Amino acid sequence: MRTLISDVQLNRPRGRLVHRIVLVVVVTGFTLVFLGPLYWLVTGGLKSAREVVQSPPTLVPHELHPGTYAEAWRQLRLGRLLSNTLVYAFGALALQLVFDVAAAYALSKLRPVLGKLLLGMMLATLMVPAAVLVVPQYLTVLDLPLLHLDLVGTPWAIWLPTVANAFSVFLLKRFFDSIPDELLAAAAIDGAGPLRTLWSVVLPMSRPILGVVSIFAVVNVWKDFLWPLLVLPDPRDQPLNTGINSLSLGVPQNVLIAALAIASAPTIVFFLIFQRNIMAGLTTGSLKG
Amino acid sequence: MTRHPRVRRSLAVLAAAGLALTTAACGSGSDGSDGAAAPGTPAADAAAPLDPAAKVTISIDCQPPANKPAERKQWAEDIAAFRQLHPNVTIDSKDGFPCEEPAAFTAQLKGRTQTDIFYSYLTDLDQALDADAVQDISAYVNETSVPALKDIDPSVLATLKADGKLYGLPFSNYRMGLIYNRKLFQQAGLDPDKPPTTWDGIREAARRIAALGDGVNGYGDYSATNQGGWHYTAELYGLGGTMTTPDGKKAAFRTPEGRQVLQNLHDLRWTDNAMGATQGLKWPDLMTQMSTDKLGMYVGAPDDITYMVQTLKGNYADYGMGPMPGGKAALLGGNDYLFKKGLTPDQIKAGIAWIDFKFLTVGKGQFDYARTRNDGLPVGLPQPSFFTGASLAADNAAKSAAATVPVANYAPYLAAQVPGRTEPANAQQIYKILDTAVSAVLTDRDADLDKLLATAESQVNQVLANL
Amino acid sequence: MAATAPRPRPGRLRQRVRHHLTAHGFLLGAVLCFAYFSWYPMVREVVMSFQRTRRGRTTWVGLDNLDRVVHDPAFWQAWRNTLLFTVLALLLGFALPFLVALLLNELRGARTYLRVLVYLPVMMPPVASVLLFKYFYDPRHGLFNRILELLHLPTSAWLNSADTAMVSVVLAATWMNMGSATLIYLAALQNIPGELYEAAELDGAGLLRRIRHVTIPQTRLILSLLLLLQIVATMQVFVEPYLLTGGNGPEGSTTTVVHLIYQYAFNFNNYGSASALGLVMLIVLAGFSALYARLARHTDQD
Repeated sequence: MRTLISDVQLNRPRGRLVHRIVLVVVVTGFTLVFLGPLYWLVTGGLKSAREVVQSPPTLVPHELHPGTYAEAWRQLRLGRLLSNTLVYAFGALALQLVFDVAAAYALSKLRPVLGKLLLGMMLATLMVPAAVLVVPQYLTVLDLPLLHLDLVGTPWAIWLPTVANAFSVFLLKRFFDSIPDELLAAAAIDGAGPLRTLWSVVLPMSRPILGVVSIFAVVNVWKDFLWPLLVLPDPRDQPLNTGINSLSLGVPQNVLIAALAIASAPTIVFFLIFQRNIMAGLTTGSLKG
Repeated sequence: MTRHPRVRRSLAVLAAAGLALTTAACGSGSDGSDGAAAPGTPAADAAAPLDPAAKVTISIDCQPPANKPAERKQWAEDIAAFRQLHPNVTIDSKDGFPCEEPAAFTAQLKGRTQTDIFYSYLTDLDQALDADAVQDISAYVNETSVPALKDIDPSVLATLKADGKLYGLPFSNYRMGLIYNRKLFQQAGLDPDKPPTTWDGIREAARRIAALGDGVNGYGDYSATNQGGWHYTAELYGLGGTMTTPDGKKAAFRTPEGRQVLQNLHDLRWTDNAMGATQGLKWPDLMTQMSTDKLGMYVGAPDDITYMVQTLKGNYADYGMGPMPGGKAALLGGNDYLFKKGLTPDQIKAGIAWIDFKFLTVGKGQFDYARTRNDGLPVGLPQPSFFTGASLAADNAAKSAAATVPVANYAPYLAAQVPGRTEPANAQQIYKILDTAVSAVLTDRDADLDKLLATAESQVNQVLANL
Repeated sequence: MAATAPRPRPGRLRQRVRHHLTAHGFLLGAVLCFAYFSWYPMVREVVMSFQRTRRGRTTWVGLDNLDRVVHDPAFWQAWRNTLLFTVLALLLGFALPFLVALLLNELRGARTYLRVLVYLPVMMPPVASVLLFKYFYDPRHGLFNRILELLHLPTSAWLNSADTAMVSVVLAATWMNMGSATLIYLAALQNIPGELYEAAELDGAGLLRRIRHVTIPQTRLILSLLLLLQIVATMQVFVEPYLLTGGNGPEGSTTTVVHLIYQYAFNFNNYGSASALGLVMLIVLAGFSALYARLARHTDQD
């Protein structure tokens, strides 16, 4: 694929040298910056409680304490927290894909009355700091108006609010906007209703953006810690992020670091396994042009 | 984290009672009332003991979490023992760590979703009252329901009262003092059994400890996350000052004592060069330094020592505790259980009975030192410290007998008996402002103390006027 | 706007009604969620900003809450800090990912590897990254000062000094978050048709000119969108300073507006002021977005 710099240019001797140098520098630099901290994380968990706060810090642990990892796993109930997190993240992802894609499609292609107003109102939510809304949101979740349901302590309290993600709706809508209307017209002539058009024309073309939105959906749940703290009062139900933060001051530094390492491992491994699929959506051909 | 993270540690000191004898309060089922439930109990009945026939369920939070197995086991044992005494009372425990998280606490008060008996800091009563979320239990608390009542420090109980009404019961508290590293005292040629009790003494000791070199600081203090203001307050109390006027409407620290606190820190930092260049410290930085033998002294609470041993892997033998420098008053803080508004009289009685059983009876529950010792938890730290009189004497005797930590190391602290003084109203807002003054003194050699104090005073007045 | 194919031709009223109903059916799920979890709480929040609750009694206090907020000594400091954070975070968090994306897009051999690296931190629980950085920043036993020492550079107090605390927060935040932005830019870059570069090259355009005349215009839509969203998001920064410095930082140097809101609400028992400040923030951000939208339209017309 042609990018900023042409292959011809790269294949000239000077080009090749520059490319080489840049490559080596970038690869080394990035490895240090992004893998270095992870090395420190993993080895920190192997150090003793004293060594981990020793000045100056040690590059290689003096003696290995792999038991710290077992201790961290047990003390912080990491297995439980981890499976909670997965349930919350993927539930939120599924709901967001269904509802936000449908909404963005409607706003972009079906253009119902008041559609623009609704979109504007959705975008306005991006301006409100989550910390401000936390209490009114909590009061709402405790007793949903009209329905009088109490979602506290159930996964729905995590899942449903994530659907109200203006960023996702907006990204999806912008992307759908770029799909030529003629394609949809062709489907309509074939007698396809809106749902079938969405399913068989729009979605297959939208893999890149669906990938991006999916990642954000998962990452948002993954990152949140104030909200789960409120709506999941039982610590056994909490996701990893919240659970670790709550316990961070109550355990020795080496156990904490080991816990952080364990907590980081599953998603990193998941990412490494599926990175091809995650990234693939992004590298597939362009729709612009 | 802007409250007192220290209080999180109080869990470490939560020790509890074994299968115990009946306490006077709970056992006195003398008035074998037959009415299974006494609906619409008149006020007169509030003072009567819990009806043994009444079926009651109460929920309570701050059960020790799974990563504190010994404390958790003791909690379960005590629940079982309590159940023996009160077969009709069901206690529904909720764990959680930390026991109070500011956002969750606020949201739960607003939504009234807290447990029936709920944990709070001694400074939280105002907030709970504003949310209309607490129950007046004055009529229920008496010498029968809480036999040790007369021996509970009135200044602690005062924090749980408003307009003469009592809303909760304490279960743990601390009074601040001077924590010091005995090993470094020895190395510096100081007597580890005689910690300094004045700021001049601290300066002298700090100079000698700092002279040991190798990155060792003589004295340390916090200056971030409101803890600088918190320690400023503690140090001002030690010199006899107060933060606000008695009505809490105006700042009252722009006094010679208030200035002296800043002057002490300034001298220690710049004249004596005994505090090191790294400032902006916050909990638990000083403990980390002391547990690695890099810090001689700082102002703190007894359970800091537990933290240094259990979490930072230090040794009890290395840490001593002396009275608050100045000795006029020691900042007092701690935790309590409040009662949720709308509980039935029987629920209130059951809740009081449980708290009394678990937390307020000498020799039982958290004061059952033999069990605490058997469970491998430390015995002998001067905390909690809400008992006075006969209960204090009995508790101290029992504690010394079962001690697993060198009690003698805290003798200077205990001997001085500095009176406790509670935190000012709206403490966090005041602390936040004083943080800046303390930090400026510790990072700017030429800081103008009078100006800092004047600025802090006007800002505190502004905040208090705007409440 | 051009009429789209699935849209019915005018005149057929019934079909039109049905079309709009179908469209709203598609919207229903999302709109309900927005209504319950965003719009309704927003309204409640606005209401609360004019109220005050004392001893269980809620009263209307008009602009008292706002007045109190504006006269808080921390008010202007919080805005200054927020602005500083936003500027720093944009310099690092907006420009850097774009440059990295440009670079990654060219380094064909190592692209996959580098892309994975940059995205790794996003995959860590943020609390883990933050606590890790806190550990690195420690002035006494931290890794960063050790590295500076080994390089014979002056060490820093990082999070412990009012001068460097905010920069340290931004550095950590950038490390944690730049993967997301990089990914989006990379996707945008890969959507640029190669012919455009070829054409530019034939015109004799050098590297920088190709960036200016091809890369940037082609990615402008996504760039400008992200810029707005990032400004809005960074001005709401909360988690990173909260976890790294406890929120306030030395001498209040990392107190952001949102942290001030948090403090009013949860530390100072003053929900009314929290809501009032939230409202101020909302107005500022909305004003900013409106201004931005105008500017964007103007540039579009050019």
